[in-house]
Amino acid sequence: MTLDVRTERPSPDRLVLHLQGRLDANTYLEFDGAARPLLAELPTGATVVLDMAGLEYISSAGLRSVARIRKTTRALDGHTLLLDPQPQVRKVFDIVKAVPVSEVFTSTSELDAYLDRIQKKIIDDTDGGN
Amino acid sequence: MRGLRSIASRLALWSLLGSALVLTAIGMLLLGHLRQTWLRSAHREGGTLALAAAHGIEAHLARAAEVTRLLARLARTRSELTEQLASDALNANPDLAGILFAWTPDDPAHPPAAPFVDRRPNGSLSRRDLSHDGTRYWEQPWFRTGLDCTDGCWQKPFFSQSRQERLINYSVAIRLAGRSIGIVNADVTLAWLQSVLGPLKRPDGALMFVVDQEGRFLAHDGIARLGLAATPELRQALAMTGDAPGELPAGVDPGVAGRAWLYRAPVAGTGWTLGLLVPQAQLESSLRHLFIRELSLGLLAMLGIAVIILVVTRRTLSPLATLTGRAEHVARGELDFTLPRVRRRDEIGRLTHAFDRMRRQLAHHLEQLTRATREQERLRSELEIAHQIQVALLPSEHYLDARCAMFELHATLRPARAVGGDLYSYFMLDQRHFCLMVGDVSDKGIPAALFMARAITLAKALAPRARHPALLLDQLNRELCQGNESCMFITLLCGVLDTSDGRLVLASAGHEPPILYQRGIGRLIEVTTGPAIGLDEDAGYVEQELAMEAGDTLLMYTDGITEAGAPDGSMFGIERTLASLERMPLPTTPRDFTARLMADVDAFAEGCDQTDDITILALSWHHRSRENAGMLDLTLKTTLEDVFAALERCESALDEAGVAAGTREDVRLVLEELMVNMVHHGHGNPSDGSIRLHLRADEGIVLAELHDDGMAFDPLQAASPTLSGDVADAEEVGGLGIHLVRAMASELAYHHDRDGNHLQLRFIQPDQTESPT
Repeated sequence: MTLDVRTERPSPDRLVLHLQGRLDANTYLEFDGAARPLLAELPTGATVVLDMAGLEYISSAGLRSVARIRKTTRALDGHTLLLDPQPQVRKVFDIVKAVPVSEVFTSTSELDAYLDRIQKKIIDDTDGGN
Repeated sequence: MRGLRSIASRLALWSLLGSALVLTAIGMLLLGHLRQTWLRSAHREGGTLALAAAHGIEAHLARAAEVTRLLARLARTRSELTEQLASDALNANPDLAGILFAWTPDDPAHPPAAPFVDRRPNGSLSRRDLSHDGTRYWEQPWFRTGLDCTDGCWQKPFFSQSRQERLINYSVAIRLAGRSIGIVNADVTLAWLQSVLGPLKRPDGALMFVVDQEGRFLAHDGIARLGLAATPELRQALAMTGDAPGELPAGVDPGVAGRAWLYRAPVAGTGWTLGLLVPQAQLESSLRHLFIRELSLGLLAMLGIAVIILVVTRRTLSPLATLTGRAEHVARGELDFTLPRVRRRDEIGRLTHAFDRMRRQLAHHLEQLTRATREQERLRSELEIAHQIQVALLPSEHYLDARCAMFELHATLRPARAVGGDLYSYFMLDQRHFCLMVGDVSDKGIPAALFMARAITLAKALAPRARHPALLLDQLNRELCQGNESCMFITLLCGVLDTSDGRLVLASAGHEPPILYQRGIGRLIEVTTGPAIGLDEDAGYVEQELAMEAGDTLLMYTDGITEAGAPDGSMFGIERTLASLERMPLPTTPRDFTARLMADVDAFAEGCDQTDDITILALSWHHRSRENAGMLDLTLKTTLEDVFAALERCESALDEAGVAAGTREDVRLVLEELMVNMVHHGHGNPSDGSIRLHLRADEGIVLAELHDDGMAFDPLQAASPTLSGDVADAEEVGGLGIHLVRAMASELAYHHDRDGNHLQLRFIQPDQTESPT
């Protein structure tokens, strides 16, 4: 079984990557290759959501890919959020403490609420700045 | 006063008794002697007294006889004056009681006058003429007898009717022209004779008497017996001649009680005899008095001596009593006391000195003994602890391969003393190889135990690196040869069992050959053996392989078994060992093997002390089939393609074996991380190497072995990554895979040898509760 990546752009500063299958030493190159052009287009403050509902398996190679995405968004002053990782994947993330717990969400609504808060905060900051 | 328990009292008593005995014996001898002398002198005195008394009587009688003879001569010529002569004679001689002149008549019808003058009791004289009183005196016997007494003689006593008393008369014949013409009779009363006897001297209690020729008493101290006849015994004694006193039995005379001595003397001119009866009791009573007095004095002296001995001995022996008391102190263990002052260097003084020395020595010895006992106690407790430590060095007696029960082991070690030089040990070298060994250190006791401890720890430390028994023996030998000044050595039989197929590789360092039991028959496995460990640094060891089949049992032991001695000097030997375990019923478990052999050795050596440490180790190979466990054995090249293909096969194999999805994913993740690592870092040219993967699932446990020929890499030793909580924090993300491996695998073992890296992994499904071995 291989990896299947589906991309979604609900807004210009938000990239959603739907992962399906395995993210391991065999597939991470493919994933990196798919993600790199998308990441390059992202504006400052963009948010990448990795939808892991369909991800069965992740190994350290996959973790390194996730790390690379996180580094990219961080450089853009943005966020990389994980959505609904399956127990096996969640376990791997927990073991290596890969992502802050606050940035892992179990459902889309939870994620949306969080994104709304961020949005609001940015606007408030902008207002404050004025 | 300690009574007879005191030596002083006993000494005094015994000397008193002894002296009394000696004194009594000598006294008895003396008494006998004294009695003889006393008797002799008494007899002499009695004889003398009797003789003197007889002479006294003679003197009186002689005067009466003289007067009568004179009258007879006068009457020859002056027959007409006879009456006057008689009166004058009576007046002149008060001893005489009457005088008679009688004539033989020429004509019995006209006898001549026969005047008789008699003294009356009042002293006056009476006269009468016997010729006319009709008695016809010339026919009387006394007259006829009197005619024959020309020189005078004493007649028999008779009772005078006129005087009413007993008389005797002295008759003298009146001779004329050679013919007796008449007689003169002078009467004497027996009372007079008695009065003559009275004043004569005699001993106290003695009886004096006079008897006539016929044995009648003429005079007697007891007046009542006058005129009576003496007893026949008395008469017989009186009749004896010679001076010797006669000894008479009791009852010879009523006047004398008991036995008596008779002294006699004849009264001259009369035919009478004077007797003196002295009672024996009388004779001896004075002697007895004397003797008793002397004896009492002697006893008194003895008593005095005894008292003196008592006092002196008590005084001399008083330190002895003190010493006795002190000896009781010593018996109670109290050694601090004062001894009596030594006055002089006699036996007591020396004893006191010796006692003092003894006390000091004893105190010294006691102190030493206490110290030694304390030391011994300490040593004993140390030995006990040493024993516990040594036991702790040994693995448990029973081992059952917990994962698949492929083999089972049971071992017994019994030291001859608290600690010993035998050893056995076993441990898993890795997931697959099981190392076991039995050894025997030369010598026994503490040195052997220390050497054994050194050997067993070294062996355990060296084994994971050596991996091969010969190599292990080689390394152990080199280590133990160093600094082995005491030249101790150890024989060791070492084996490594491949738990996957039952192959057992053996190497021996001078140890007893093991015994393999197959289907109830035991045979010795001749292992080519090298020298014992610790002697030759350059020694080499060879290996020998043995394939164990299901049901086989390998027995390893030390010479404590074969050299166990019976009271008759024989040894248990290898034949008995073999026979012991071939006996029906056949032992089935390793525990049966060790227990049977130990029991047989104990029975054989009953009554003998165990002289050597005994160790028995039995290893049984059960061999459970591999097919049941879902095996997977793959060899792949170090390429990602091969790796992922292998991962796929693993997953499906685990799925078939019914392993839960979570565990399956864990296994896959770990294997991927490790194998990808091997592909990326193991070789200069990534596709040169090969990886061997061995996977087994058994009862909820997944065992995986990875062997690769790449560069040495120990995932256990790899540095942990810094986990900040965000993978994006790290500059270069690395080490996460190994971290995952360590976190996911329940157990992980690594070793590296000439073949490369070897990894054993173990996964336990979450619902399994079995603990890792």
